[in-house]
Amino acid sequence: MAMAVAACVWLSSADAYAADTEANAEAASAAEKAEIVRPVNSSYMLSVGSSHLGDTYLSPLKYTGWHAAFDYDRIQAMKFSPERWRQQLRISVEFNHADNPARNATLYYLNVHASWGMLRRWALPYNIGVAVGGNAALNAGCTYSARNGNNPASAKVDITVGVSGHATWKTRLGRMPVMLLWQTSMPLTGAFFSPEYDELYYEIYLGNRSGLVHWALPWNMFRWDNLVCADLDVSSTRLRVGFRSRIFSSEVNNITTRIFSYGFVVGATGDWMSVSPRNFPSKETMSIVYAY
Amino acid sequence: MKIFPKHIRTAATLAVAAMACALSSCHDIEEYEETPRGTFEQLWTILDEHYCFFEQKGVDWNDVHRRYAPRIADDMSQQELFGVCSDMLNELRDGHTNLVTPFATSYYRRWWSDYPQNFNRRLVQEYYFNFNYRTAGGIDYGLLPQNVGYMYYSNFSSPVGESNLDNILAYLATADGLIIDVRDNGGGSMTNVETIVSRFISERILAGTICHKTGPGHGDFSEPYAYYYSPAEAGRIMWFKPVVVLTNRSTFSAANNFVSVMKSLPQVKIVGATTGGGSGMPFSSELTNGWGVRFSASPVRDPEGRLTEFGVDPTEGCAVDLDPQAALGGTDTMLDFAVAILTK
Repeated sequence: MAMAVAACVWLSSADAYAADTEANAEAASAAEKAEIVRPVNSSYMLSVGSSHLGDTYLSPLKYTGWHAAFDYDRIQAMKFSPERWRQQLRISVEFNHADNPARNATLYYLNVHASWGMLRRWALPYNIGVAVGGNAALNAGCTYSARNGNNPASAKVDITVGVSGHATWKTRLGRMPVMLLWQTSMPLTGAFFSPEYDELYYEIYLGNRSGLVHWALPWNMFRWDNLVCADLDVSSTRLRVGFRSRIFSSEVNNITTRIFSYGFVVGATGDWMSVSPRNFPSKETMSIVYAY
Repeated sequence: MKIFPKHIRTAATLAVAAMACALSSCHDIEEYEETPRGTFEQLWTILDEHYCFFEQKGVDWNDVHRRYAPRIADDMSQQELFGVCSDMLNELRDGHTNLVTPFATSYYRRWWSDYPQNFNRRLVQEYYFNFNYRTAGGIDYGLLPQNVGYMYYSNFSSPVGESNLDNILAYLATADGLIIDVRDNGGGSMTNVETIVSRFISERILAGTICHKTGPGHGDFSEPYAYYYSPAEAGRIMWFKPVVVLTNRSTFSAANNFVSVMKSLPQVKIVGATTGGGSGMPFSSELTNGWGVRFSASPVRDPEGRLTEFGVDPTEGCAVDLDPQAALGGTDTMLDFAVAILTK
């Protein structure tokens, strides 16, 4: 019985960086006659940095502390137009631990983020690439203060559609290939949850659901995530180092929330290709369209 | 040579402009100085924007500010500042309002200290049960010689489980009536109120209404939301024989709410003294100097729509106090009154 399992191959960094914009363009022109292979660019990142929390449902004070997060980012050329379109999946888990100014109370924030988007990519001169598109995102999180009695926590949940994009510049640091990357995303509209001003979650538990879901617009719920990093070609997978900022600010029902975190990022990234061993394309007929 | 096509540059310019506009509108949180004056103003403002009973208590909060602000001095100690702030909070006459500091917590105590205590727990334990009573789920219980069941629940924070109630009610099933003693019960979790009440109802009942502040104005309240309790699930042991709920002035907060719901049931009489109130569910907040503050923020009303912040009266003809002289001889006159009602 023939084995039908897929063979997965990490593409070497050299392969990926050889696929500069011109190569991608060639691949695009040859796409009609070649079998197109679309490697997945997967990135696994850890970030650690500072946290700035404020949630007036729990406290009128601004808290400061640290945050840690794990991010998974997956980007791949799309099948219907691999030379132009990319799909991107992002999943992250963020934890914040911050103290009040007197350092006698702690506020925690935990959030899980998932988003999927499509981006139109342009290959520009000088190995620069730009992509702009839209995404749909879900955030489910919670702030928690152990100090409070009946109002110890506040859920932060939103589902949005927004814009996202990235810019890349493939260059060299000495003899080492490097890709500089800026990723950004910002929701434009959607829906988000908030209790009313002094509404206890107990009242919600009793069944009062009115006024909990709000139409999100940038002036009442603003979120802006940015990643600036360099992918260093140190081995078959690449080392990613950089900086990430996450900004969330909302004001609804006279409740203000500010969750800002800034952190240094370190991670691993690489291009991952999945092909069937029965139909492994030959080099002559294979055309690789990289995500970046 | 321009690297970026015109439409990319236009899009980028618009994006940066939009982000700049959005960033500039990041919502700010007002900050107060960590000085005696800043602490006082912050505390006054928190209460001004969140406290829910100004109107019912006839408190002019601006007038309170006028009277107390001159007592603040830049060089006053933390202890002195605590004294002034505590006095200011006491103007609210609210047992749910406290200022919490590392060295002291302020309490307004006159809601109970101006009244007879009407309860001596050992009196019941010793002279009515000779210390032979059972305890389950935070409830002491036993059978009195007059074939009346007795339950004492000291604190609604003590978790009481369905199995606990099954066992307690099964043990007391042969009794002709049941006394639920919530004297000196200072409250706790409202979910325990529902757990217990659900054993005494045969159909879904209106338990009361709850509302909350919707903004910082003194009159910013939501519409009252009616909430209901349902009978315990099938298979649980229920009680539909006569019930007396024993109360005193220290029956407060969730216990006060329990009494207000039980009072609406036809087989239940409230015996004892007017409860202590505390019908505003409290919120917590804090000050820049690290002090905590708690205050009533979410008023709960009884099934008739009445505010019970000032207490729940006994059923007509059932007001009774503990006779201190009789207590010295081992008699709880309130408990005896309740037994008499159930054995008539």
